[in-house]
Amino acid sequence: MKSKKEKKLYWRRLDNSAKIFPISAGRKYSTVFRLSVVLKEKINPKVLENAVNMALDQYKSFKVRMKTGFFWYYLEENQKSPIIEEEKDYPCQYINPRTNNNYLFKVTYFENKINIDIFHALTDGNNGTTFFKEIVYNYLELMYPEVFQEERRARNLEIVEYDTEDSYVKNYDKKAKSNASSKKAYVLRGNFLKLGAVSAIHEMIDLNALKEESKKHEATITQYLTAVLIYSIYEENYKKSKSKKPIKVCIPVNLKKYFASKTMSNFFSYITLEANMEDKNMDTFEKILEFVKVDFKNRLVEEEIIKTMSANVKLGNNPIVRIVPLELKKLLVRLSYIEIRKYTTITFSNIGRIGIIGKYQDYIDYFLFLIAPESVEKIKCSSCSFGNKMVFTFTSILDNNKIQKRFYEFLKERNIKVEIESNGVLDDISTEIK
Amino acid sequence: MIYPQKLNSKKSNLLVRFGVLLSILVALILLLLNRHFKPRVPWAAIANGGIIYVWVILFYSIKKNINIAGHVLLQTLALSALTVFIDYQLGFKAWSLDIIIPVLIIIANVTMFVLTIISHKNYIKYAMYQLVISLFSILPIVLYIENITHNKVMCIIASIISGINLALSLVLCARDLKETVVRKFHM
Repeated sequence: MKSKKEKKLYWRRLDNSAKIFPISAGRKYSTVFRLSVVLKEKINPKVLENAVNMALDQYKSFKVRMKTGFFWYYLEENQKSPIIEEEKDYPCQYINPRTNNNYLFKVTYFENKINIDIFHALTDGNNGTTFFKEIVYNYLELMYPEVFQEERRARNLEIVEYDTEDSYVKNYDKKAKSNASSKKAYVLRGNFLKLGAVSAIHEMIDLNALKEESKKHEATITQYLTAVLIYSIYEENYKKSKSKKPIKVCIPVNLKKYFASKTMSNFFSYITLEANMEDKNMDTFEKILEFVKVDFKNRLVEEEIIKTMSANVKLGNNPIVRIVPLELKKLLVRLSYIEIRKYTTITFSNIGRIGIIGKYQDYIDYFLFLIAPESVEKIKCSSCSFGNKMVFTFTSILDNNKIQKRFYEFLKERNIKVEIESNGVLDDISTEIK
Repeated sequence: MIYPQKLNSKKSNLLVRFGVLLSILVALILLLLNRHFKPRVPWAAIANGGIIYVWVILFYSIKKNINIAGHVLLQTLALSALTVFIDYQLGFKAWSLDIIIPVLIIIANVTMFVLTIISHKNYIKYAMYQLVISLFSILPIVLYIENITHNKVMCIIASIISGINLALSLVLCARDLKETVVRKFHM
């Protein structure tokens, strides 16, 4: 007999950021990010399935499916269980809501690795990591109940109920004026990989050495890596073109650092660094790093972040935007979005240290974080760290890896130990790097 | 090694593409033959209408997790359109509007009625489709008032059954209906 609960399926509106993702997403623009963990032993799929279901029981916000409304999409409670499969696709592929029992994330495994691909409409990298860590904890506890008996008891296993607030709407400033730049960005050049392939190259960097090197230049790790990235783009792609457009790097920012929020939905904004290479004569790494440090200082301040966030909230709340039927919204957004995306050259998302408690660390080798490239931003960069390993990942749809190689060589020249792992799409070049 | 050696390349649904291409080819051949032989009945247009109907149903059916009430609605709309088209091609005697559409509306409403009775706890899943079917069920009355159809009996029967069905849904599942409208039309 069906329970009474089935009658009242929980539902919620999409948060302000999430509204745009299902409208604009498709096979060529997936807006999916991936988190992976590499354990020290082979994955047991049955145990993984149980671990995912346990995590879903705790984090209700992830137990949802996307439904179509007349004006907006919305999320509704999903009563089915997700399907766990062996990895067989390229990373960060579009998640068709009609597959995987309508879940907006997909858990896969391969050898020692567990992946979760998450559609950005569901949550951001920070909250995705919280959910993924729960899966990893559950998995290890189920695999070794006797080892983790105490830890499980000590862990805070409170059920995190469905989100009821949109932290964007709660915290935005109605009077803030937009700070968006009107200049289009330099777009990376190159031929596309064939048959929809996506290359993933992971550069595993010695974190202590990187910290030391950044400190030497009085920069943070994110600033230092951003500067290396701009330098690599400048040397390998920009210099060969006649473009005068700035290299613009989009850096997502976790808003939970600025506002008190318990949401498990999206709550991020971004800053965009705008490097006018020709105007400021930025032809050396040192000059680029100086620019990055100053631009970070100017842009990574609460006031600026609120301006960006508020502009986006105002757009989502605009009465005209709200009354346009969803199908028309989709048409308009898809037509205009290719142009809108031309305001960024590359995105670099650093979710920082992935904190794992106590004994669990002994079973984990490292974590990976990947974001989906697309036809305009052909390369995207992401990073995370665990222990003394910082993994900087390039996901790309270009058929060459010159930028990745320059990035690697630059760090090597500074005596920073870097190892390479890849998904083999640009295999000859990956091996060349090694 | 952290990735499988062979990853899936882009899935192009070759079979579907081939099917669509073949259908277009067949449709063009039928039109050419029709033009050449000039028969009294424009059977090429009727056959092409059938081809379009088959593809609409096929595309909908190959999707997974399709709601049964969605099938009822789609069949009602697709068959109505197909029969009106055939009627029009045969000189428009209005039999599609007089008989077929009211019958389709009756069948759709009876099906929804049965669905509501046997699984009213899951009614929220069907609510939106029920509302659209109810809206579509007004059509025979509108056509009758506008003097486009002349079969008063069928119009009345279809409208009564549709009215009863909607009333029953409202009695059993008014809250679900309201909830669905709030969800679907939130701004």
